[in-house]
Formats: sequence, structure tokens, C-alpha cells
Amino acid sequence: MSDRKQNLPQLYRFCFLMMGDLRKAQEVFNTTLREAGLRAAKGELPREPFWLFREARWRCLEASKTDLQPEQLEMEEHEIASEAASQIKQLEPAQLAIWISAAPDPQRTALALFYLDEFDYLEILDIAELKLSTLSRCLSRGRRQLQAWLDTKHSGADKA
Amino acid sequence: MRTFRLLRRRRALLNCAPISQGHLTDRSMRTAISREDGSDEFVNQQNFDRAVAELVRLVPIPTESAEWFSDKDVIRAPKRTWRKIVLNPAVLAISIAVVVIAGVFAFHLVGQLNDFPGSSTARKLLTVAGSTRSVMLDPVNAEAGTLSDLFFMKHGLEHYDVPDEFADFQTIGCRVFDDDESQRIAQIWVAEKQMQFFLFPAERDSKTGAVLAFPGWRYIHQEGWAGAVTEHNGVCFMAVLKGREKDLEPYLSAPRE
Repeated sequence: MSDRKQNLPQLYRFCFLMMGDLRKAQEVFNTTLREAGLRAAKGELPREPFWLFREARWRCLEASKTDLQPEQLEMEEHEIASEAASQIKQLEPAQLAIWISAAPDPQRTALALFYLDEFDYLEILDIAELKLSTLSRCLSRGRRQLQAWLDTKHSGADKA
Repeated sequence: MRTFRLLRRRRALLNCAPISQGHLTDRSMRTAISREDGSDEFVNQQNFDRAVAELVRLVPIPTESAEWFSDKDVIRAPKRTWRKIVLNPAVLAISIAVVVIAGVFAFHLVGQLNDFPGSSTARKLLTVAGSTRSVMLDPVNAEAGTLSDLFFMKHGLEHYDVPDEFADFQTIGCRVFDDDESQRIAQIWVAEKQMQFFLFPAERDSKTGAVLAFPGWRYIHQEGWAGAVTEHNGVCFMAVLKGREKDLEPYLSAPRE
């Protein structure tokens, strides 16, 4: 298997973005690798590429089922602002992870895979088992919602 | 309608535009980006995406999880050993099939190497020798070498001569018959080791009609019968006995070919 296909630091980051919680991300990451190790010892490793990410995604979704679910709200959406980059720079990685992990699936998976900057869109479609139109919609809405959240956050901070 | 669909697809591709140039491998994506490159909306989107990706890269990795990175081989498939490859049922089946095919090929090759002009007739006559009973032949008590005249005078068979090596043997009987290719075959039974002699026309070239001659003696064997064949004046002579080649060797003066 090539190193890119089992880029473990990126796999951990993916788990973190999906779970939004350090402990849960570690748990999913460790379980995924432990299971993979057992399968490797038996010579039963899947042949398809990026199967580790697919496994981790499935575990993240399973683990989230038992969590408290975020309230279904109509999220505000804003056009992407030119100063968005500077707004994002003021964020902590954990804040972003919490925001992404609160998104409904498949938007959560789409955002986590896309912002890892590890895969091209065809690979993301393969891992997340999505259509191009769905991925496009998830990313487009995700950006606008994140922008709205950033705007709210910064206007709140300015007032304070 | 088609234009609308194309525009929608291009919009969809732009929404998925890669953050790094390294992921710009898809042609349709490259085309979509090249048409939109420079627009404020797309530049904002790209800056936004780069900033988020940069933030994701800052996600710290806990020490406990980082331990996995040093041991990447733990999820690598075990290396295939020669033993495992050989014991793989598919490889095993193919190997056996190849060995069997090679064996059959070698058997045919060796068979063909021993072939000589007239060998197919000689083999048929070995079968005849195995099924002949002495009562089927006309009783003749003479030296084998003298039967040439009989074959010529009675049956018109020219050059049906018994070679010198076998000319002195006492005969029990003889006959002349046609084989399935209407060739005239002379058969002689001698007292010596219940040996039989066959005389038959030598094989000829199908185009020129010339006799396909071969030097010395050639051996054939089939179902426990052995024969030594020689050709002279367009007629083949075969001495046959129940046994092996080495049982015939003492009778042949010329060295084996």
C-alpha cells in the first residue's frame, strides 16, 4: 500500500474533524488501526484504495449515533467574504472540528474529506459514496454556513 | 437544455475545486477552473478553502496516536513467501496442468524422434503379429531366404527378400495378404523364438513417388512386441518377436541406428 493511501496523520485529522472531540477521535482512530492490524495479520486487507478512510468514516458515523444529536435548525448562510481567510486564521482547529462534526452527514464527511486536502474530488466521491451534485451542494452550503458562523462569531467579538 | 446541464456541471465542479494544485488531475476540472479563474467569487472561495485547510493542518496529533505512525508495517499485508505462492491452489493447479501438458508434448516428441518412413505400417503389423496364430499360415518348411522366389513366382512380389541376418532361419509357415491400404504384405513364421517376419512396400513420397529410404535398422515396440525394420530396394523387412529390443539385437549384424 502506498504511503498516501495510508497517510495516518491525515487519517487521525479526519477522525478529529468527524468527531469534534479529541478522546472520541482517538478512540475511533485506534480501533480502526487495531482492526486493520488484525486483518493484515490474517492477510485479509481490502484491495481498494483508501479503505482505511472508508472504515474510519463508518466508525465515526456509528460512534456518533449514540451521541447527543444537534438540534435540526435552518442554518444561516452568507456569501463568502473577502476577509474570510483572516477570520478563519483566528479560529482554533478544535473550534473548526466541532463545527464540522455538528454538520449532518453527508455534509460532515464531505467537509472533513475535502479540507484534509488529501484527495481530489473523484477520490472523495469514491470514499464518501456520493454523487458530484451532492458533494458540490454539501461543500457550497458548508462554506456559506461556515461564513455565516464566522460573521456571527466576529460580530459578537467586536461587540464584546 | 444541454447548455444548462453543462453549466450546472461546471458550477458543481467549481464547488469541488481542489485546494492544492497537486489534486488538479481531472481534465474536466481543469477546464472548469480555467474558464472561471480570476473571478472574484472563485478567488474568494479558493482563499477560504486554503485558510480552512491550513487550519486543519494545525490539528495536533496526540502522542498516543502518533505511536502508530512509527509502526506502519502493522497494517501492511504480510509478504508473500515462495511457499505460500506455490501452495496457492490456483498456482498449484496451473503448475500441474503445465507439467501434464509438457509430459504429453515430450511423449509425442520422443515418439516422433523414433519415427521413420513406414513406421506406421510397421506398428500396425506388430498388432497383426500379436493376433496371428500359426494355423492361419500356409505350412512351409524351408530356409527363410529361399521364400523370395516363392513370393515372386506365386504372388508377383519383387524384391521381397529376407535379409542375410535372418535368411538361414527355418520357417514354419508363410502367407501373403492385403492390409487396410491394399498393400501386399508377406508374413513368415520361423521356429527361432517364435519369431515372425514381415515384408511390405516402403513408404514413398506422395509427390514424386520416390522411395523414402533410411539406412540400417530401426526399432519399434508396442504392447510387449518389438520389431527391427530395414529397407532395401523399396521393400521394408521387419523381424518381430515378443520381447524387447535387446532380444532382437543379437540377430542384427549392423550397429543400431
